[in-house]
Amino acid sequence: MGNTMRLLFVVTVLLLTGLLGVGSKKAHSDGDFEDNEFAEFEDFDDEEEEGTVVEEDAEFPSESESQGQAASAGKNDDDDDDEEEEDEGVVETEDDEFDHMMDEEEFIGFDRDTRAGKGKPHDVPDLKIAKMLMLAGLGVYFLNFLAGKTKNSKLAQAWFTSHKTLLDENFSLVGDDGTSKEVAGGTLMKESENIYTLWCSGRTCVEGMLVELKLIKRQDLINVMATLLKPLADQISQFAEKKGVEKYNIPSSFQMLSEIPEASSFILDKRVCSALEQYESQIEYIHISDQYSGPKNQYDDAQTKMPEVTPSLVFCFNVPGKGKTRVSDIEGTVVLMKLVFYCVDKARTKAERNRQKAEEAFLKLAHSQRQEAAQQRREEKRRQEKERIMNEEDPDRARKLEEKESKRDMKRKQARTKMMKVKGILLML
Amino acid sequence: MSSSTPFDARRPNKIHRYKPKDTNAPGDDPTPDYMNLLGMIFSMCGLMMKLKWCAWCAVYCSFISFANSRASEDTKQTLSSFMLSISAVVMSYLQNPQPMTPPWQ
Repeated sequence: MGNTMRLLFVVTVLLLTGLLGVGSKKAHSDGDFEDNEFAEFEDFDDEEEEGTVVEEDAEFPSESESQGQAASAGKNDDDDDDEEEEDEGVVETEDDEFDHMMDEEEFIGFDRDTRAGKGKPHDVPDLKIAKMLMLAGLGVYFLNFLAGKTKNSKLAQAWFTSHKTLLDENFSLVGDDGTSKEVAGGTLMKESENIYTLWCSGRTCVEGMLVELKLIKRQDLINVMATLLKPLADQISQFAEKKGVEKYNIPSSFQMLSEIPEASSFILDKRVCSALEQYESQIEYIHISDQYSGPKNQYDDAQTKMPEVTPSLVFCFNVPGKGKTRVSDIEGTVVLMKLVFYCVDKARTKAERNRQKAEEAFLKLAHSQRQEAAQQRREEKRRQEKERIMNEEDPDRARKLEEKESKRDMKRKQARTKMMKVKGILLML
Repeated sequence: MSSSTPFDARRPNKIHRYKPKDTNAPGDDPTPDYMNLLGMIFSMCGLMMKLKWCAWCAVYCSFISFANSRASEDTKQTLSSFMLSISAVVMSYLQNPQPMTPPWQ
């Protein structure tokens, strides 16, 4: 349904722009013609009114038949033509004539050719070029859109077919779109023209795997990125890694962020390291987390409750061939998928100890967040109280409120010292 | 590497159905939304002030928005923005058949 709608949309767009182009071209030529015709009837000297009708017909037989009777039609033209016919001797007078005449528009027909170079040369190119350029630009964009769309789709399909066997070995359900009643696999979903997703599920210790292919926006001319990104998000039931900075003996272009050092040394054993070395240019990042709650929501500052978390591994690979990936390159990434599965299996063996630690750490974080929020609320209340006091006109009531405020302030100061102590202890933990 | 596991790692009884991500519109690429808005603004400008180049920019913006839109978004919004920009172009040409003057002239 969505696809047909899009096609319809595109077709209507093309039709409309085509019609528009044709319509306004016609309007232009008609308009010019009319302007010229009316321009002919502009003021002329009375002297020139006589005896030019016949000549006028002779000069402009096709156009001025109907206007032949109009006395003022084309007198100037006739004069000029006469003078032209008289040849070179009249060149100067011709120019004079041109000077006090309106525009080149008065002279239609064969006069226009002689005058094309003079007058206002920049008008003629502008007349339609701008519009043609616009339409051409639109056409180019549209063509690029189509081309990019097909290329992206081809890439995604190629990726899917090349990885299918591997995925089938590891997952019992590959490619679910969530809508069909029966579990049927094999659907590569299209999120947008450059994002394709694939959902796999049914494996030991893995709740599911969502593969997201983010391809370059080839369908959008404006958007030119340098690399392709292909993030994979595995959901597993174990593991922990957070903040801190350490370095390991892997290619130094890698930065390691890990909170619990044992975990990282466990993961980064020899095989993984060698793989990292080998595919250095293709691995964007590997994020292993016990509580992965999705990308940080930057619009939500006052989070007081814990966001939903799931343990997960996120791998992000770059597909090689910056910007000019061909189908063959995709097959090379099959090896990277194997790396993913390897890590998954390793993760199984690491368990509760890390989980506990991570839980604690997270609780801390959430707690401090909650405290902050509560404090903010208290600040708000205080401010409101103060405002009320200010606005209070009755002196008695004002006094009473002030007293209340001061009492509260005292209490708060005491509580604050207590809190500081507790915080200090927690931080030390 | 690890795919040569001796046992079959698949568990057909532990299948989780796909739950489509809820539309985290601000988190993702906001280009289509911006372009949509920009297109509407341009077309209104073009209509009110009869500026042809505004109307043409509006057409481009709505086209870009369409190209970047996600499949989950409905096409009605993009379509309406596009229609608006086309009408802006047509109206500005009908009212003023003179060729387009670029904004710097």
